[in-house]
Amino acid sequence: MLLFTIKRLLLLIPVFLAISVVIFMLVHLVPGDPIDNIVRVGATPAEKAALVARYGLDQPLWAQYANWFGKMLQGDLGDAIILRRPVAELIALNLPHSLALGSLALLFSTIVGIATGTLAAIFRDTWFDRGVMTLILLGSTVPSFWLALLMIMLFAVTLGWFPVSGARTASALVLPVLTIGLGGVALVARVTRVAMMDIARRDFVMMLHAKGVSRWRIELGSVLRHALMPVVTILSLRIGWILGGAVAVEFVFARPGLGSLLITSLNQRDYPVVQGCLLMLAIAVMLGTLLGDIVQAAMDPRIREGMK
Amino acid sequence: MKPFTTRLLAGVLLSSSFLVTGFAATAQDVTMVLPSRQVGAPSYDPIRGTKLNMATTLIYDRMVLQDADQSYHGQLATSWEVTEDGMEWVFNLRPGVTFHDGEPFNADTIAWWIPQFSDTENAFMTDAIESVTVVDDLTVKFTMKNPDPNLLSNMAGFFMGVPSPAAYEAMGDDYGVTGAVGTGPFKLESFTVGQDTVLVRNEDYTSGSDLSVNQGPAHIARLTFREIADDSTAFLEMKTGGVDMLLSVPQDFRATMEGETDITIVTIPGRELFYMPINTIVAPFDDIRVREAAAFAVNQPEILENLFGGIGAVADTFLTDALLEGNVKDELRISYDPDRSRALLDEAGWIAAADGTRSKDGTALTVKLWTQNGTEFRRITEVIQAQLAEVGFTAEITVLDPSSINAEYRKETEHQLAVRSYSYENADILDWFFSAERLGYPNVSMWTDATAEELRIKAMTESRTWDERVANFTDYHEYVLTQFVFAPIYQPVQSYAYRSDALMVPDVIRSTQLQSQTILDIEVK
Repeated sequence: MLLFTIKRLLLLIPVFLAISVVIFMLVHLVPGDPIDNIVRVGATPAEKAALVARYGLDQPLWAQYANWFGKMLQGDLGDAIILRRPVAELIALNLPHSLALGSLALLFSTIVGIATGTLAAIFRDTWFDRGVMTLILLGSTVPSFWLALLMIMLFAVTLGWFPVSGARTASALVLPVLTIGLGGVALVARVTRVAMMDIARRDFVMMLHAKGVSRWRIELGSVLRHALMPVVTILSLRIGWILGGAVAVEFVFARPGLGSLLITSLNQRDYPVVQGCLLMLAIAVMLGTLLGDIVQAAMDPRIREGMK
Repeated sequence: MKPFTTRLLAGVLLSSSFLVTGFAATAQDVTMVLPSRQVGAPSYDPIRGTKLNMATTLIYDRMVLQDADQSYHGQLATSWEVTEDGMEWVFNLRPGVTFHDGEPFNADTIAWWIPQFSDTENAFMTDAIESVTVVDDLTVKFTMKNPDPNLLSNMAGFFMGVPSPAAYEAMGDDYGVTGAVGTGPFKLESFTVGQDTVLVRNEDYTSGSDLSVNQGPAHIARLTFREIADDSTAFLEMKTGGVDMLLSVPQDFRATMEGETDITIVTIPGRELFYMPINTIVAPFDDIRVREAAAFAVNQPEILENLFGGIGAVADTFLTDALLEGNVKDELRISYDPDRSRALLDEAGWIAAADGTRSKDGTALTVKLWTQNGTEFRRITEVIQAQLAEVGFTAEITVLDPSSINAEYRKETEHQLAVRSYSYENADILDWFFSAERLGYPNVSMWTDATAEELRIKAMTESRTWDERVANFTDYHEYVLTQFVFAPIYQPVQSYAYRSDALMVPDVIRSTQLQSQTILDIEVK
């Protein structure tokens, strides 16, 4: 298992290098220029050139990349051009909000998604299954900003249980977690249901039925355990998505987070911040995938064997 | 009672009282939502900042403040005199003023402060000042490069808050980001870009101007400014009492808010103007007749009624109605006249086909119409697209984010028409947008014209008195109107909404936009 983990970690190095190049190039190829946002209107070309040089934007792209990458390896993500703070500090301010929102939403969608998916599979083709499937369809199609407003209208305005927006109290986290989590519930429940129905048709399940093992024991003890493999894959992919994909929810609930920071900086072409945020999201996706692989390998020895 | 039980009970009571007093908002705590236009201001540095929000006016005092009637009132300056030729200004400063860090405010502060603007984005505010001389501890003299009757207007702006020299020097590039020190009625407690700013009352404050009834410490003890970019969320926060005041009322929710019994809406004249700049160097708009046709195709009354429910005013010049320089000859106003547009296009050789589209020598009258993201901009742009089509233009809309738009303008050739807005209350906005020295951006119209430059320079540098400046800028404005380098569209009003069960807001707003002089008089119920 240790060897498997080390091999997977080593595989991440070239992936990380490739991602860093893509991020750097994408950010610099977008039209717009951070210097345009800070240069004095009516400034002479020499004044603008001095600003460009100050931020190293006069160097060839490869040299800028090498400089950025070298500093990044030492933990220095540079300074924000518009926000005038170290990028690492800006990320450190926003990351905890994203982590809290993302991890709670993931936990919510995992528990509720697996539970509803399992029940839908066990009671397949009943009113319960059809009801759950309808909710799943709604959950996967309703845009998150719309769901967010519905949540606010119901729980904050009508019932007054939670604050409308902000991040000053723990209770302000409930509605954003539910909004993001419900989208995840739909996905996890659908995958769990399909996987369980597939596993349920396998020979070893038939044999367990033939041996007289109770239905609930088979479903929860054997079928669900085997069905969790694709669920783990889905959940590992959602880790990165939740950190960066909560932009709309952060916007509606006026919450800080990596997504909000990314959008603000992108609008201002604050390159160092955009690069820092994208890098964090890429790392989250890579670590999520790695975690998924490790969990799958722990659950299925064939995967470990395959890496040898 | 056993000692342990006693201690336990005491502990519980203490914890409870801490929970109540430590976490609950006190009666004098107020939360306001900044206008969406001010969301994302990255610092409270009035010297180097390019975007500031309203809280800046509460951290810093200014030399003078401007009333809603455009008159000036002393704040850090108690009085001032200007020589007849406009080349020297003497300001007498308020005694006994100290910064939040305990440093004294005096003439040396002003002598340090003015030169800090050189080479910054805001340098134009102080460009006309040649030097600052300390006459005595509370008197300073400005010697001018040229007369500048606009000096007081500049001095009353957000960017003219006076920071503590000691704090400014000590914090360096971090100034305004990690801290901000002024002499204003509130001290900065915390600031998170894009989230909120928390201010606490300056208990020693005595520098209120005569625009405020209360010239001492503010009635509000703790003031939180929240940045909520989504209008729906801001409205719902207001409705549920999560915030006490919105510094801008979203148009879509205005009618709903008017129906709420606990919400009061205050409306004052606007300082924003929507307009459509026309690139004068790109065909077909290098022909003034085509520019004129596009300008007269914009149906301003229809936009006012259908998009804004009649709230606001049509724009038919480049300046807002509040400015004297907007009083131009009636025949120069650009008001909807589709027949005139059609006739001009016919005259310019753009022949109309049966379907209403036009072409000339096989080239269709298809033009680019840019706009920026945001509901209001998209709506106006779509209506203008339809209005242009009525006279024969086929306008293709492109929606860009503000940074991309500016990058494209700087290419100086690509754009043709755009829907934009500015928010400013001085006629020198004409210089900003139409100076031949600023082609690309902000002179999006790419307009260079010898007569215009003469009139502009005269207005900017040769006006000795305010009346002379008004006359010169009116001349310049009238000439700009004759060249059809833009089409005026719409003037919104400024609206504030507050919870009348929580606040008492003065009936009259003593400024051209809500700021420190009114906040000082707001009382908490």
